[in-house]
Amino acid sequence: MAETTPMLDIKDLVVHYGGICALNGVNLHVGQGEIVAVIGANGAGKSTLMKTIVAVKSYTSGTIMYKGMPLPKESYKVVSTGITLVPEGRRIFAPLTVRENLLAGAYTRWDRQHINQTMEEVFALFPRLKERINQRGGTLSGGEQQMLAVGRALMAKPDLLMLDEPSLGLAPIVIDMMFETITRLNREMGLTILLVEQNASIALELCHRAYVLKTGEISMEGTGKELLEDPRVQASYLGITS
Amino acid sequence: MELFIQQLVSGISIGAIYSLLAVGYALVYSVYNFTNWAFDAFMAFGAFIAFTSISSLFLPFWAAGAISIVLTIILAVSAEKLAYSPLRARKAPRLFMMISAMGVNLAIVNIINLIYGGTFRKFPVDALQPIFIGNVSIGRTDLVAGGISFVVLALLWAFLYRTRWGLGVRASSIDILTASLMGINNNGVAIVVFTLTGILSSVAGIFYGIKYAVYPMMGMVTIKAMIASIVGGLGSLPAAIVGSMILGILETMVSGYISSTYRDLFSFLFLIVILLFFPNGLMGKSVEEKL
Repeated sequence: MAETTPMLDIKDLVVHYGGICALNGVNLHVGQGEIVAVIGANGAGKSTLMKTIVAVKSYTSGTIMYKGMPLPKESYKVVSTGITLVPEGRRIFAPLTVRENLLAGAYTRWDRQHINQTMEEVFALFPRLKERINQRGGTLSGGEQQMLAVGRALMAKPDLLMLDEPSLGLAPIVIDMMFETITRLNREMGLTILLVEQNASIALELCHRAYVLKTGEISMEGTGKELLEDPRVQASYLGITS
Repeated sequence: MELFIQQLVSGISIGAIYSLLAVGYALVYSVYNFTNWAFDAFMAFGAFIAFTSISSLFLPFWAAGAISIVLTIILAVSAEKLAYSPLRARKAPRLFMMISAMGVNLAIVNIINLIYGGTFRKFPVDALQPIFIGNVSIGRTDLVAGGISFVVLALLWAFLYRTRWGLGVRASSIDILTASLMGINNNGVAIVVFTLTGILSSVAGIFYGIKYAVYPMMGMVTIKAMIASIVGGLGSLPAAIVGSMILGILETMVSGYISSTYRDLFSFLFLIVILLFFPNGLMGKSVEEKL
């Protein structure tokens, strides 16, 4: 973990929706090879943070640096820098087949041979997708759609994979499988991961470091273990009262 | 029987032209969620460019067609860049997009009117001798118009379903925001879509001009394309083509067996009847809001 030169470095980030301040001076960094989680309640600004990084939402002030460079202001240019987002609610292209969804994820790449190779890697990770390759995305189950959304994001060959609420609307057994996959992506493929999650316990267990976002501000940060043991986190986000 | 076959061929040919128009509307609607009312002006523009290239510049038909397609593409992309894209950048409601499209339409149609006047003109190509199969005479113009229209539709299908850019257009038509997360540039997609619109409207304008006449308001026929896409079922390319074929054949049958005066009456009646029994169109699956 190269803490000295973070891969993603966010400083004093302020984001407004009209007159409402959604993020108020957020400082956050992600080092190469880390899994970083951002936990927080509904409306804390977690999704806004993700959307701002991928330039879907513009920001009022602050800096977002990625590998030492400012990120582009147009969302379609962000993928080429090596960042992909698995959006909240999966947002797969329902009328397109599994294969087409995956190819859409590889839109910025031109080399057919390498694209096919990446697709095979995705199928190795999610064999279910290969079985359903010609099926329309909309006919898949929720868990399969999440696999497709992650697979689609991997098709761009990212260095930093961001996931917005990957557990949302999934059965507990599927959530476990999903998070196991995220750990594998990090350990075996060396992918750096930033995820935001309402399901604090599972996120804190798997991450190296985490931030607690509360009404647009970082209220706590530490390693996953530290936060899991913190009584304030336990009371507010884990439902544990001592 | 002879009349039936003649009218059938003619109906398929006019149905193919309606298909080009219906698909042109559907493309813009599916990606940008507004009805491009300027489309019929593009069609008239394309027809007049070809008309002028032949009658004043004495160019051969194929060259006139090529010039018409290129200039109509430039017109359609300019309309996108000058009228639609700035509104999109400011996140204008789609009603404003439509009103802007009407403005583009009025401007183009009136400029054509100023230059050429509002009269009907015969498209300057020599009438092709019909082909006789037994007693059945089949218009060569119908065959050429129908044939080329089908080739254009097939190329469009191949583009949308077999190329990377086509996938970009389809992904954007489903979810423009997520498409941009994949690296699909929305403004690039807009140029592709309006280029296709330019091609479709130009080809349709030329063949419609040959079949009937060239005049500034000729784009009014695009209302038929709307009927066709509603009859087929909104939001799907094959449905638009099926609807267009049915409408084209119905019209030529009415013209042949009843009277051409009642042609449009039957078209609209047909629409009402279809909607009474199939509110989503013949092949439509879900009700979509469409203006």
